[in-house]
Amino acid sequence: MRYMNIALAKGRLADKSIGFFEYIGFNVDELKNDSRKLIITDEENKIRFFLVKPGDVPTYVEYGAADIGIAGKDTLMEEDRSLYEVLNLGFGECIMAVAGPENLFGRLDEIPNKRVATKYPNIARKYFEIEKRESIEVIKLNGSVELAPLVGLSEVIVDLVETGRTLRENGLVVLEKIADISARLIVNRVSMKLESERINYIIDGFRKKLNEEETRYAGNTKI
Amino acid sequence: MSKRNIYTPDGVRDILNDECYAKRNLEQKIRELFRKGGYRELETSSIEFYDVFSNDIGLVSQESMFKFFDQQGRILVLKPDATIPAARVAATKYTLQDFPLRLSYIGNTFRYNESGGGKQREFTVAGVEIMGVAAPDADAEVIAMAAETIRCGGLENFQIDIGQINFFKGLMEESGLPEADIENLRILIDRKDFIGIEELVRAHRLDSDISKLILSLPKPIGNIDTLDRIQSMTRNAKSLEALENLHQVLDILDDYGLSKYISIDLGMVYDMTFYTGIIFKGYTYDLGFPILRGGRYDSLVGKFGRDMPATGFSLGVNMLMTAMEKQGLLTEKITIDTAVTYTPEGRKTAFQLCSELRKQGLVVEMDINNCSTGDFKKYAVSRGIGGFLNILDENRIEVHNVKTGEVVLTTIDSLLENGGVGRKS
Repeated sequence: MRYMNIALAKGRLADKSIGFFEYIGFNVDELKNDSRKLIITDEENKIRFFLVKPGDVPTYVEYGAADIGIAGKDTLMEEDRSLYEVLNLGFGECIMAVAGPENLFGRLDEIPNKRVATKYPNIARKYFEIEKRESIEVIKLNGSVELAPLVGLSEVIVDLVETGRTLRENGLVVLEKIADISARLIVNRVSMKLESERINYIIDGFRKKLNEEETRYAGNTKI
Repeated sequence: MSKRNIYTPDGVRDILNDECYAKRNLEQKIRELFRKGGYRELETSSIEFYDVFSNDIGLVSQESMFKFFDQQGRILVLKPDATIPAARVAATKYTLQDFPLRLSYIGNTFRYNESGGGKQREFTVAGVEIMGVAAPDADAEVIAMAAETIRCGGLENFQIDIGQINFFKGLMEESGLPEADIENLRILIDRKDFIGIEELVRAHRLDSDISKLILSLPKPIGNIDTLDRIQSMTRNAKSLEALENLHQVLDILDDYGLSKYISIDLGMVYDMTFYTGIIFKGYTYDLGFPILRGGRYDSLVGKFGRDMPATGFSLGVNMLMTAMEKQGLLTEKITIDTAVTYTPEGRKTAFQLCSELRKQGLVVEMDINNCSTGDFKKYAVSRGIGGFLNILDENRIEVHNVKTGEVVLTTIDSLLENGGVGRKS
């Protein structure tokens, strides 16, 4: 049998993903160890896990180097790759938002020429061009994006907001929400056709786990 | 400025040696297949007016074309697609007696960001178009040609998914969804985003049969029974007609003996402006992209001034090669059957002998370096040539077997009677 290749984002998302693969009976012992290996194999189930940078997961899946992968909706929106996005896994929840100083709240449209600092140039451009019908100047940064409006590099930022603590501590607020973000199960377009049996086994298993969690969660809230 | 004279630009590459040899052989096999099916090959120009590809139906996206200007300032493009020029030709260069018209092509096209070439920007496409026939038999023939084209590469593990775009169009007309939501739904179905589809369907409170049908679109359809069940739930005439048409094509393909390669996918809605009926894609293992795509496009030729039905497919030759390589089917190599060196007295004879051996079908390399016998032997070994001839004069020839080191003295006449040297046994 052919190996099924699975691309996982290194770090937080991978840790949460492991639980899903464990649930459907894949051997994830080696994934749990904090190893430096980039390829981890489950010989029994003929599965190979690749550990890659979060932003690269959609690339591996689009080219077919990986049959399936787990990636954040943020990277999927930014990369806009041609692939199947089959399941919302629920974890890694946060929002993609336009943020800026408090005095801009409700007054974002009053700035005619905006400079937008972001790690997500495509998402920023698309949101302003399509949703708000305006051209902006995108300033691509690699981290600590919150700094940009504070030092006059940009008026606003487009970034992920999880708890909003970093924003608050730097005197920034969410001005507009762009999208809800969470981890997604993605599938290569050809693999979906030719490996449908194994891939559907994974999708169905994941879905079952999600349903169980939902029921458990609903049960807890009743108490 | 750094000099760029030793590099090739992004997305293009040099195809050399055995790869080029195998590619030409493959193209030749495909060409023979097309010719035997009665298709006329055409070679449209590499440069066309931008307008050909970007009229009101937005055939090829502006961003994906290589553009430049002619001396009058008009926009030109490098051919981004082979079907559209074929449609232009069918509408303008043929007389009515020529129809129905079978056309074929094998040639290079150019696009930025094209997954059809496995992300290459210059890629060879091979395909056929049937112009002027609306019958399902034409769609089936085109799909059969597509399957045979994949088989030209020796591939047996492949799948062709067939859909009918009017099924979705009919459902949308029946649903009464606003245009913007139809486009959103199309994108969601194309991405198999089950959750998104469900949310959209729920938000519009659609009738339960239509909802079920829409939700079934992204799921694969295993067999004819599932198709029949879908048919029994369908109400609108356009969708029913689409299913009937799909049935006919599948029946014909069954008689072609191709059923084992065929699967049904009603969720193929990737291009609603171009395709108007049957739509299909071909897949094979070890390749992340579809290897071919095609379908019926009855409204295209009319854009060039002569309305007519049309159907066709286009296959990525480079991608077929990649699949062949990964499946261990790319085995053809350049071979030299024999080499010829000579003394000054034997030169004239050497040329005559060479041309005689080549006429017999052998690949013969001539010494062009005035090598000594020893050096020529080393050369033959390095090139993997099994044997060589040393022409001593008008009649006498030394036959050197490189592997055994054996040297036999013979004459031209007896050599030619034995049918050459170094021929693979």
